[in-house]
Amino acid sequence: MKSVSALIFGFNEYGLEIARNVQYKYENIAMFNLEKSEFMSIKDVDYTLRLFDLSDDWDDIEDEFDMEKSIIFCAIRDEAKNIFLTISLRSYFKDATIISLANNQEDTNKLKMAGASKVIPIVETTADIITDMLKKPIATEILHNILYEDSALKIAQVKVKNLEYFEDRFPADINWSEKFGVLVLSIVHENMSREFIYSSKSKHTLLKDGDMLIVVGYDTDLKEFEKKIGG
Amino acid sequence: MNLFNRYLVDFAYFLKTSVSYQRKRRFFYNILENDDYRYKKYFDIFMIILIFSSVSILIYEVKRDVHDYLNMFNGYVISFIFFVEYILRLWVSSSVSKVIIHQDEYADLLGREFSLWFVVKKVVSDKLEYILSVKAIIDLLAIMPFFHELRLLRIFILFRVFKIFRYAKSFQTFASVLTSKKFEFFTLAMFASIVIFVSSVLIYVMEANNPDSPIDTLYEAFYWSIVTISTVGYGDVVAVSYEGRFVAMVVILSGIAVMAFTTSLFVSAFTEKLEEIKENKTILDVSKTKNICIICGYENIAKEVAKKLIHSKFDVLVLDDDKQRVFNAKKDGLTVLDYNPGTIESYKKLNIDLSTKVKAILCLREDDVENVYTALTVRSINKDVYMMSLLINQTNRNKLLSSGVNEILYDKEFIGLIVKEYIGQPVAFEAIHELRSEDSNIKIKEIALTERIVSNITFVKNLENLNFRVLLLGIYKKSSKRFFFNPLKDTLLESGDVILVMGNYIFIKEFEKNLSHK
Repeated sequence: MKSVSALIFGFNEYGLEIARNVQYKYENIAMFNLEKSEFMSIKDVDYTLRLFDLSDDWDDIEDEFDMEKSIIFCAIRDEAKNIFLTISLRSYFKDATIISLANNQEDTNKLKMAGASKVIPIVETTADIITDMLKKPIATEILHNILYEDSALKIAQVKVKNLEYFEDRFPADINWSEKFGVLVLSIVHENMSREFIYSSKSKHTLLKDGDMLIVVGYDTDLKEFEKKIGG
Repeated sequence: MNLFNRYLVDFAYFLKTSVSYQRKRRFFYNILENDDYRYKKYFDIFMIILIFSSVSILIYEVKRDVHDYLNMFNGYVISFIFFVEYILRLWVSSSVSKVIIHQDEYADLLGREFSLWFVVKKVVSDKLEYILSVKAIIDLLAIMPFFHELRLLRIFILFRVFKIFRYAKSFQTFASVLTSKKFEFFTLAMFASIVIFVSSVLIYVMEANNPDSPIDTLYEAFYWSIVTISTVGYGDVVAVSYEGRFVAMVVILSGIAVMAFTTSLFVSAFTEKLEEIKENKTILDVSKTKNICIICGYENIAKEVAKKLIHSKFDVLVLDDDKQRVFNAKKDGLTVLDYNPGTIESYKKLNIDLSTKVKAILCLREDDVENVYTALTVRSINKDVYMMSLLINQTNRNKLLSSGVNEILYDKEFIGLIVKEYIGQPVAFEAIHELRSEDSNIKIKEIALTERIVSNITFVKNLENLNFRVLLLGIYKKSSKRFFFNPLKDTLLESGDVILVMGNYIFIKEFEKNLSHK
C-alpha cells in the first residue's frame, strides 16, 4: 500500500527543521539527497534517507508514495538544482503539493514559474520577522504565538454550514466576540477570494454555505464555535 | 590660609556643588558650543540672521538715509547681543572654580599653602588663551560698532560676517581641510611672495623712468605684479619697455605655475579629507537621530532588513569593515561607516548613548562567530541596549545567549514553523499572511494609550472600535505585562496600555484620531 508521506529533498538544516515540524501530520518522512556523504554525518535520525539524482525517473517514488496526499518539499541549497528539481517534479506529478524554499525574490519568481505550489523566500521571510519585531513587537509576538507556538490562543479556519445562526445578518454586523467568544478576522469565499471581516463587501454580502471563516480564539471557544456553525 | 583665600575656596566649592549654577552653565555651554545640543541650531540661525541684518543695514546706508531706529538696532541692540554672547563664551571657555579647587586640593595634598598667585596666573592664562583665539578676536571686533560715534569703527560691522564661521559647520570643515595642507600652502605663499617682490622691484626699476610707462610708483609696480601673477591681467597697467615685457613674461609663467599648484593643493586636500569629512558628517547625523537601528554586517538578510526598515521610516546605520560589503551598502543608499562592529573603538567614535538613542543593534552577519563577538563587544559597553542576532548553526544558540543577545533569529526554525502552519491550516495561513503583507490595506496596529486618552476613555466599551470598522484583538496591560485577548467590555484602560487593533488603515487612522479628540 502506498504511504502518505512528506518527501523532503535536501538533507540539510532546513530539511531537518521541516521534517521535525511536519512529522505530526505525516506517517512517514522520506528525506532525499544528491550526495551520500551528508547522510553519513548525521546519526540518530528517524527518517527514511535516500539518494536521488536529477534525471526524470520518478517511477520509484510514484510506486511507493500516495502522491495525491503526500507533500513534497524542495529544500536543496543550490538554487539552480532546486529550481530544476521543482520543474522536474511538477512535470511528473501534476497535482502534487510542492513547497520550495527560495533564497531571494528572483528565485521565488523562478520557482513559481517552475510550478511550485508555495514558495517560501528564506531571506525575505527572516527580514520580515526582524522588521515586524522592531515595528510592532507586541503584535508580532501575539501573532507568532497564535500562528506558530502552542499557546492557548489559536487560529482556525471554520467552514460555515449552519446559516440559521446568522439570521440573515451581514457578517460585519454580528458581534462574534460577544456571541461566540471568538474574533472573526476574515471570510474566505468558495472561489478562494478573501475579505476582511469589516470590509465594505462583508458589510453587504451574506454568508453562504461553504464559505470559510478565519477565526482567532481560545481552544475551547473555537471548538464550540466550530460545533455550532461549522462542518 | 588667610580669610580671603578661605572664602574664595568655599565659594568655589559652593559653585561646584550648586545644581542651579551648574545647570545654567551647562545650558549656556550647550547652546554656544555643543553641536549635539538640539537647540543650538536655533541659536545659530538667530545669530546668522542678526549678522545679515547688520550687514544689510550697512550696505543700505551707503547711498541712502537710514532711519534712526535701524541705526539704533544695528549699533546698540545687535552689538549688545554680541557683547552678551562674547561674555558668555568667555565664561564657559574655562572654569575658574575648577582652577581654585584644583589648587586647593593640590596644596592640601602636598601640605603647602594655598597660592592665590597661581590661581590668578592660571585663570588669566586660560582666559587669555580664549581671548586671543581667532574666533574670539572676530567676536570682539564685531562688537566694536557699538562705539559707532567713531566713524572708523563702523567698518567693523564687516567683521560680523566672519562670525558666520562660528555658526556654519561647513566653513569650519573647509578651514580644517585647508589646514591639513598648511606646509604646502606656506611654501606656495613664500614662492609667490618672492616672485611678486622681485618682479615689483624689477618692473619699477625698468619702467619708473620711462615717460610712456604707466608704472610710476612702487605701489603701481606691486599692483601690476599681483594682477599679472594671479593671471587676471586687467590691462590697465602694462609694461612698455623690452626689459619690462621680459619681466612680465617671467611673471606670467610663474603665475601659471602658482595657479596650477594652488588648484592642485585644494583638490588634493579635499580628496584626502573627503572620506573623513563624510565620516564626520555621518557621525554628526547619527548623533542627531533617535531610535536608530544599527545593523552590524551587511550581507543578504541585512540587506533585506535595511530595505524594510527604511521603508518603515526607521533610521538605519550599517557598520561593516569589509570594503565590498561597505561598497554594496553605499550603493544601496544606506548610511554606512567603515567600522568593525566588533570593536569598542567603533562605538566610541560613534559617540552616542546606546541606551537612549539606539532602538536596536542587529547582528546580521551570516557567521555565528562574528555575531557572538559583536554581541559581546556591545554588551561590554552597554547593558541595556536591545540586541538581536542571527543564528546560523543551532549548536551556537547558547553561545549567543551567553553573549547577551535579547532575541535570537534562527531562520531554519522560522521556515519549519511556517511550513507547520501551512500544512495544518493552509487557508488560515494564506489569509493571515495576506492581511499582514505590505501591500494589504488591512493593517495591524499597536496604539499606546496615553494619559489623555484614558482620562476620557475608561473602559473597553468606550473605545467604540466597531463604529470605525476596527477589530480589537486585545490589550497589552503594562502593569501585568500580559496580553488580554478579546477583552471584556468593562476592562479598565490604563495609561501605558497598548491596544492591538486590525482594520483598514484609513479607518484605523480615524479611530486613532477619535481616541485623541474624544
